[in-house]
Amino acid sequence: MADAPILAMRGLAAGYGGRPVVGGIDLTLHRGEVLGLLGANGSGKSTLIRAITGQLPAMAGSVTVGGVAMAADPVAAKAKLGLAVDAPDVPAALTGRQYLELVASIRGCAPDAWPAGDMVALLQFRPWLDRPVASYSLGTRMKVSIAAALLGAPPLLIFDEALNGLDPVVAFAMKQLLGTLAAAGHAIILSTHVVETVPVVCTRALFLADGRIAGAWDSAELAAASRAPGDFERAVMAALSLHGARAA
Amino acid sequence: MRFDGLVLSLMWRELRGSLAGMRKRDAAWIVLGGGGLLAYGLAINVAWLVRNADWVRDAHGAWLGALALVAASGLLDGMLLARPAQKRAHARFLAALPISDDRRRAMAASAAFAIGVAPAMLSAALMLAACLAVAKPAAALWVVGTALLSFGALAAGVALRLRRPYVAPEERLALPGSAAGITLPVAPLDRSRPRWVGSWAWNLPAGRLTLSGRGVVLALALLAAGLLATVASLARASAAPAVIAGLVGGLILFMATARYHPLVSPVLRTAPLRFGRAWLRIAKLPLALSVAFFAVLAGPAVAAEPGAWTLPLSGGLGLLILNSIYAVFAAFFATAPVFAAIAFLLALALTAYETLEYGRSVLLGLAALVVFVFIRTRRRYLHG
Repeated sequence: MADAPILAMRGLAAGYGGRPVVGGIDLTLHRGEVLGLLGANGSGKSTLIRAITGQLPAMAGSVTVGGVAMAADPVAAKAKLGLAVDAPDVPAALTGRQYLELVASIRGCAPDAWPAGDMVALLQFRPWLDRPVASYSLGTRMKVSIAAALLGAPPLLIFDEALNGLDPVVAFAMKQLLGTLAAAGHAIILSTHVVETVPVVCTRALFLADGRIAGAWDSAELAAASRAPGDFERAVMAALSLHGARAA
Repeated sequence: MRFDGLVLSLMWRELRGSLAGMRKRDAAWIVLGGGGLLAYGLAINVAWLVRNADWVRDAHGAWLGALALVAASGLLDGMLLARPAQKRAHARFLAALPISDDRRRAMAASAAFAIGVAPAMLSAALMLAACLAVAKPAAALWVVGTALLSFGALAAGVALRLRRPYVAPEERLALPGSAAGITLPVAPLDRSRPRWVGSWAWNLPAGRLTLSGRGVVLALALLAAGLLATVASLARASAAPAVIAGLVGGLILFMATARYHPLVSPVLRTAPLRFGRAWLRIAKLPLALSVAFFAVLAGPAVAAEPGAWTLPLSGGLGLLILNSIYAVFAAFFATAPVFAAIAFLLALALTAYETLEYGRSVLLGLAALVVFVFIRTRRRYLHG
């Protein structure tokens, strides 16, 4: 029997002010899958992630996380996901340690209950741990945000532009970590503009344009589309150009 | 200068963006509900003025009081509008533009003043309505005087707020030594789930409470009021002065310290945390301060009049109810505590007036409003 999906969306539409920004989204994500989310600015990636994480209500369709409908029981559904919040959303007044303790206390776990090793060491922010987040760079804030998202090992992990600002060593470590987490049974969504990362770390990819799924790659197609260096990037650029031309 | 209207333009675009992002149902609630209440408030005031025209026309104290209210309102408007204008004039994305600090201050001042014209004109229009309602002699003089006073107070408020160089809140938190200062024992009260949310709400750098100038003034004012009330209670052998001071001071303390901005953060909104727990937990520190202030005055109240022990008890219960109502408004206006305070005070004033007119059943209306606002805020927190 196939395992139940960690994330299921059926005909999802979401937006602002009564106007849908994304619509007709059908998607399921299982344990061990890493989904790359691609698209131009304004294509609806962040809106989709807000709908998945319960920050925006579904205007149509449904979101189910770990078998729990977000609309029916948002608290239970949110217990099954970990979102690395945007760097400016990490509370500036708290120290990194306090922020981790805050998230851990909500999730009912220890502030070092990570699914794969010591994130403070892996993401290299121990010297910053007891300083206010306000004094952090963008990259250091993202490191704390990623570490907090992993606390309590939620089955669905969501990273929205989370590789932005990371230094090369930590970015590399992060890519390795995504593989480790997927192997451990987590489902992962990685929204990114760093196209060349997708075939390296993702098992599937979606291309969003005008709020709809305009292209999809499974693992075989990802492998085929990235046989030669730059092939996948060229495919994505072609898709972007096509939709850009249509929009113009 | 080509940048002169930049801040005003930014604020206007942000307002348009917010309105465009608002659900039609919410916009309708604000326009119809708020507009209806405003029209009702105006109507009952004008009707009252017409009924009491003979007395009001020559009540010089009342007219001077109205002018003082206009001046205070203009000053407050100026200070409130200058803050967001100043923030936008120093926005990070404008940092690279060749604009001096003085020019940025001028941009912020002109934007705040331009927006403040509307409430200033509203003050003058209200004065005109009052003059017409009671057939006040030299009405034109009163209206022009009100307009001038309102604009003057607005300009003073803007100047007062912009007198110091701008330091972004985040930069202030990041400054070396910003965590230094008087360390008050906040941490032991801030360890329950969700941990540190009180420090976050208060923006305490690294959880340390540093007393600001405003904090010291508020503390001294409350201390003085408490001492006076205690002396009055003991001298008259009456519990009432101390209980009233405890109730009013406790409420002021709660309103000054309750900050609900974490409720709109994705950190809490994407976490498995029930709204009720988050709401109560954020209220914990302000409530502790408020109750402590009341409790300190309840002791002298009982000592002054031991037979009237129910008075401090009912005062304490009243304080809890008022704090809870304010906490509902503060959670709804999570990022705008001033609007929360205005909405709360207007709701209380309207309820008090209507209770005098129609009896205590009006309190059910206030309860219904509070429940409605609570449910709306909970829904926004859980679902967006």
